[in-house]
Amino acid sequence: MKVSVASLSALTLLIISSSQSLYAAEQPQSGGTLTWGVETEPNTLNPQLNGQSKAELILRVAYESLLARKPDGSYIPWLATGYSVSEEGKTYTFTLRDDVKFSNGEKLNADAVAENFRHAQDPAYCAGSSICALAGRIESVATPDEHTVSITLKQVYSPFLSFAAGLKLISPSSWTSPQLKSGGTDLAGTGPFILKRYEKGQQIEYVRNPDYHWASANARHQGPAYLEGVTYRFLPESSVRTGALLSGQVDVIEGVSGNDAGEFKDNADFSYQHALNTGTPYSLFLNVKYGPTQELKVRQAILQGLDISPILQSIYRGERTRVWGITSPVDPLYDASLVNKYGNNPTLANQLLDESGWKTKGADGIRTKDGKPLSIEIIQAQATVRDQRDVLLQALQAQARQRLGIDLKIRYVDSGTYTEVRKTGEFGSIANSNTDTDGIDIENHYLPVNAGGAINYSRTDAPEIIPLLKGASQTLDNTERKTFYGQLQHFAILQQALAIPLYEPEDQIAAASYVHGVGFRPFKQMPENAYDVWLSKH
Amino acid sequence: MTVESTFGSPRLPDTAPSWRWRILRRLLSGALVLWAAVTLSFISVYLAPGDIVSLLMGEQVQTPAIEAAIRAEWGLDQPLYMQYLHYLWRVLHGDFGRSYMLNTDVSSLVLSQLWPTLKLTGLALVVSLIFAVLMAVTTVHRRWGQRIAGSVELVLASTPSFWLGIVLLFIFSFTLRWFPVAGDRSFSSLVLPALSLGLSQGAVVSQVLRRGLEDALDEPFVLTLRAWGLGNATIRLRHALRHAALPAVTLTGWLIGGLLSGAVITEQVFGRPGLGKITVDAVLGKDLPVVLAVAIFSALVYVVLSTLVDILYLFIDPRLRDTSGEEKS
Repeated sequence: MKVSVASLSALTLLIISSSQSLYAAEQPQSGGTLTWGVETEPNTLNPQLNGQSKAELILRVAYESLLARKPDGSYIPWLATGYSVSEEGKTYTFTLRDDVKFSNGEKLNADAVAENFRHAQDPAYCAGSSICALAGRIESVATPDEHTVSITLKQVYSPFLSFAAGLKLISPSSWTSPQLKSGGTDLAGTGPFILKRYEKGQQIEYVRNPDYHWASANARHQGPAYLEGVTYRFLPESSVRTGALLSGQVDVIEGVSGNDAGEFKDNADFSYQHALNTGTPYSLFLNVKYGPTQELKVRQAILQGLDISPILQSIYRGERTRVWGITSPVDPLYDASLVNKYGNNPTLANQLLDESGWKTKGADGIRTKDGKPLSIEIIQAQATVRDQRDVLLQALQAQARQRLGIDLKIRYVDSGTYTEVRKTGEFGSIANSNTDTDGIDIENHYLPVNAGGAINYSRTDAPEIIPLLKGASQTLDNTERKTFYGQLQHFAILQQALAIPLYEPEDQIAAASYVHGVGFRPFKQMPENAYDVWLSKH
Repeated sequence: MTVESTFGSPRLPDTAPSWRWRILRRLLSGALVLWAAVTLSFISVYLAPGDIVSLLMGEQVQTPAIEAAIRAEWGLDQPLYMQYLHYLWRVLHGDFGRSYMLNTDVSSLVLSQLWPTLKLTGLALVVSLIFAVLMAVTTVHRRWGQRIAGSVELVLASTPSFWLGIVLLFIFSFTLRWFPVAGDRSFSSLVLPALSLGLSQGAVVSQVLRRGLEDALDEPFVLTLRAWGLGNATIRLRHALRHAALPAVTLTGWLIGGLLSGAVITEQVFGRPGLGKITVDAVLGKDLPVVLAVAIFSALVYVVLSTLVDILYLFIDPRLRDTSGEEKS
């Protein structure tokens, strides 16, 4: 089955590259503005404090980082020409370009960069965002000369590089701006576009940065952007985005539902692309400290008894990808060894349930033990219900009832209740996905809650996991890390059934045929970057 | 329609002291409503599940240092009653604080979102009143007209405004391209949202208004008017409508509430700026400063509008203008 995943991604690449070669005859041209219909409005425009994956699309055009990444996850120059890691693995040294300016005219030098890392360590600035935890590992930041920044960690921590390389840098004068936390025109970046206007609830406008000439090594051209400006219009409703693009009121949209994909796929007036997200798949994490899921056999029964693939097929019309492990198939740390290793085995599942004492079935077909029904409450935060996940959960619910006699209760909760539930740990399962790369997600999911496992929904503190996580984060060798995470994955999914991976969320882009060069950022696979986009006559 | 014509000719009731007393009482009760709105919102947000510090921290590693920084930054380290008193004190000085979630100044945030919402609900109100009056006046006491109008209204009233919005968009924006899909730039971008919000509410008012008209047309005075030789239209518009208007005006108060809450969804569908989304997000995220500011502003809108409705009563029904006729609301 490894083959099919590989061929699938090859096919995707083929589709993307063929759609580009289609227009290869035409030369990119400068000019015009682009209107992009987007799903998510950023809650803050400060690119460092904003934790919404979907806001990257909007903020990346103005704020840039030290290094860019190739699809395989390796690092290439951007605002830094290169980096080195000290022998013992604790000090990262970045060499900066000497010709980069923020859009307000301030120079990007070692001090400007160092200031970004220093603020990232200050709880008064970063509290509430994920950069706080990562920057908390910094021991000191030094600027040996005008173009060199050295960051020393308290101890070796391999995911740190991805944080340091990816931190979106803001200009020195930003730190004293009253807009610092909310973000806005005061916060100058180095990007190819400059934030011009933000109309809350409506749109955000950028204009071209005419001085820009430091595109990352993976960009398709150099010099200023082709577009004179780009406007992101907030259209939260998926059907409205589709309609707006079909009727020519916007040029590009992202977030296309499985039902609408067909409108663009087989339509010469539009292009359609999609790419898997990085990070943790959308999974049901099963609570090992509360309710029936405390029993290993119950968790095993859910893992083995459900048949996920046909459900995904019918809900998403084949537009979403089934996953089996703890991270995304596009992650370099991905280990495909669990593919088809479990699931769709109701006989085994029912046997496990019988063995564990959930034997008798009530009139409603739900198993009981000591008079109590086998009922598991799935918590889904209302804020993360998207992409027909509610329908998916309902389908799982029906299957679990029919095949296994398990009653999955779905509860959609507001964020207050969600934090409350996570704090008390009184839930059967939490369903969610995350996009962080480089093992950051894996640590957050599998470290014990009291040791910093911020999103350890299964609440596991199995002693077997710690050495694997430690081993992985304390080596800089990716092959070794992959081995550790592979072992972790076997333990967490196959042996312990801490989580039931469902599908890998993805991003979609549909664009009018006169829009060229839209695509996904290499590696992280978020919809990107207005920089390479150009418009042909239309 | 009726609203405009009555506003045009303000006639004050005769006895001055009672008029002043009324205004004073109005102002006092208005202030009381505002204070109650703030206090109740404050209490209910605190009683809602989830602690604000954990919410502000989100799904990330929580250390005592981060927690302390958040408490200090937002004044959450003070006792609750102090937080409440501080808040009241600041509001009296026009300072609504800073949003926990958006990190922006709340008064400018709410003010910038208030106008688009008021425009939308205002036009939706006009739409529903025009619709209601037209439907009621043209079909009352006409058997078939009444049946058809009745079923149209039933469909509209039971259609979710969300769905109506998508249908209107599909026809008039995506297919005919008469109106833009989103934004708040021109009047044309206001038309579809106002229709989708106004029609369903108007359908309810229309049914009440028609019933009122029916009763009014059965009154003996109509026979007198007919005997005078007045035409059907004149009787309906000039005389019967006035009789039927009181319950409809009362209902308009309810209508405005419905429009304001309906605006949440309409703004979402049409990608419009407005109070809707920030309010929902603020409530979900326990963003207390925003919730309180919205509560104050909506209470203010209610106070102003209900005062207007009361004044409107006086103009519609002269009997209420008697000195003995104290407020009946």
